[in-house]
Amino acid sequence: MSVRSALLVFVVALAISASPGRAETDRFPPVAISRQLAEARHLSIGATIRLSTDRAGAHTREFRVVGIYEPTPNPARLGSPDLEVRFHLPDLLALTRDPGTPAGSESMDGINVALADPADARAFARDVNARLPGINARPAAEATGSAGRFIVLRQFHLAIAAVTIGAATVFLLALTIMLVDERRETVGVLRLIGLPARRILMQVLLEGIIVAAAGAVFGLVLSLASERLINRFFQWRYDTALVFVRITADVALTCVAIAVPLGAAATVIASWALLRRNALRLARR
Amino acid sequence: MNMGATTRRALAMAWRSLTRQPARASLGILGVAAVGALLLDMLLLSEGLIVSMRELLGRAGYDVRVTATEDLPRNGPPLHDVQGTLSTIAHLPHIRSTLAVRFVDGAVERPRGETLDVSIEGVGGDAPHPWNVLRGRDTRDAGEVVIDESTAMMAGVGPGAELILHADCGTGTEALPPARLRIVGVAEFPFELTNENTIGATLDTVTSACGSDKPDQADLILVTAADDPDAAVTAIRAARPDLAAASNEEVLGRIERTGFTYFRQISSVLTTITLSFALLLIAVLLTVSVNQRLGEIAALRALGFSRSRVAADVLCESALIVGIGGILSLPVGAALAVVLDRILKRMPGIPGELHFFVFQPTALELHLALLAATALVAALYPMHIVVRLPIAATLRDQVAE
Repeated sequence: MSVRSALLVFVVALAISASPGRAETDRFPPVAISRQLAEARHLSIGATIRLSTDRAGAHTREFRVVGIYEPTPNPARLGSPDLEVRFHLPDLLALTRDPGTPAGSESMDGINVALADPADARAFARDVNARLPGINARPAAEATGSAGRFIVLRQFHLAIAAVTIGAATVFLLALTIMLVDERRETVGVLRLIGLPARRILMQVLLEGIIVAAAGAVFGLVLSLASERLINRFFQWRYDTALVFVRITADVALTCVAIAVPLGAAATVIASWALLRRNALRLARR
Repeated sequence: MNMGATTRRALAMAWRSLTRQPARASLGILGVAAVGALLLDMLLLSEGLIVSMRELLGRAGYDVRVTATEDLPRNGPPLHDVQGTLSTIAHLPHIRSTLAVRFVDGAVERPRGETLDVSIEGVGGDAPHPWNVLRGRDTRDAGEVVIDESTAMMAGVGPGAELILHADCGTGTEALPPARLRIVGVAEFPFELTNENTIGATLDTVTSACGSDKPDQADLILVTAADDPDAAVTAIRAARPDLAAASNEEVLGRIERTGFTYFRQISSVLTTITLSFALLLIAVLLTVSVNQRLGEIAALRALGFSRSRVAADVLCESALIVGIGGILSLPVGAALAVVLDRILKRMPGIPGELHFFVFQPTALELHLALLAATALVAALYPMHIVVRLPIAATLRDQVAE
């Protein structure tokens, strides 16, 4: 078993300050800080910072900033600035250890393990759980503690989408009824010159499919354009690299699969009532 | 002619125009009802969570919350030296009473042998307990607990029964012996999370279940102020700068700034999209409708109807579609809000009594104002068409056709 994570992410309530004297600072333990923390406290590489686990800033220790990193986006911490510091594990334990706790007996939150073959993750976790009672090993794919929240949000968005589709369908039907009504005389003439209702209905259906497909394509182009806009706005708003909207091929196909049949069906339903009327009544002025 | 009579006539004319095309009018109204319902729900969502949380915090009766850090209770590190901290805070000015709360996970044994996961709230201090007793009585001594309705039902126990509890108090406590506790009442816990089973006890009882003698650890201290809560917060901060003290309004501010701001953003985005959608479609409906009746409108103008009168007819038609749809949207929106609220309350870590969609008069007023503005703006272009309509040319075209 190879332990990959020698670093831990630790958010601390801190007294931070940059101080000069680079030659002296080389003896301080190195840390990496998040971009947000660097920006919030105007820190740069080479700066010395004092860190404490005490809100009042007591018992501080000095560290040297050797790197600034972009934190991995965490949806569960949306809205909270990612003010993070990464230590070498022994430095973090030295900072957080109670005076009464002997070195080496501290507890840790987790160990990340990189496997030679990632496909063995489930079997490896099962093996660890069987051999080391009291330890909970899980494949990384299953260790999504806050996934429940996003599953609920997905259901909420689907419900909103369903209502929107319902409203759009009603409006679409109203519009197609009006458009078909405008062509009442044309349909009446076509019927009078001998075109069967089924032939006209087929023509209307094809027209509906073409218009719906064009509408769906326009909608997709609009979505792709707004995708970037929405992501940029929320990334600026929350100062995060998280992606909020992603239009995947699946999403695009689902939209087309709903929009085109819906548009075509609305056209046919609106036309059906018209085609059932007497041709003379339709054509009369 | 007075304004009222003109408006009544314009409304009557608009009503006749709508009823002449019942299918079209009904679909337009239904569409507005659906869009209006969504709009209403988004307005309720924008402030609902904060309103609900404010009501919940106010109902609990505590004015100040003290934690080790600014993290929400149960998410941050615990407070240590609880007795000393309680004593310090209790002797500060502006403080009436204090209550330390410790949250511990655990499992209770059920009659058939399997266990039921529970959350235990251990409390100590002189402020009222954060639960309301429904049956039996409140805890007084060590070894006594109150349980919520779901624990009573799922464990098949009630007041007077004994409960065997396996507490999980963190690292190193996995092998604790079970604690035998006596149920003295059934209570409701206002901050209980959805699908959570909760047990309330004294801090001594929880400390003992965690295998310790001294209750020196808690997650939160609840404080009731004697007068001004802000003065109480200031006093606590001055006495214990190492702790995070916050009034109810500050707690709400923290919630607003963090994760729940998402709902306000999504509400703003969907409100804008919904309104644009409604505006576009009503404008199209009215424009097509007006274009189909150009001859009729030109004839009315030739008969002596003024420009403002035919424009008023179009505006009234828009107002009728949006007005009737808007009225229908209220019950539809209320029903939809119940469904959406139920979906969002499945989110883990949300108190069961918290709601995302909360009715407020201001939301209703804004809803009506936005719909009225939509009706007006959607009618602008069709009104422009009828006002600029050349009477003679239109009538000649109609005759030629």
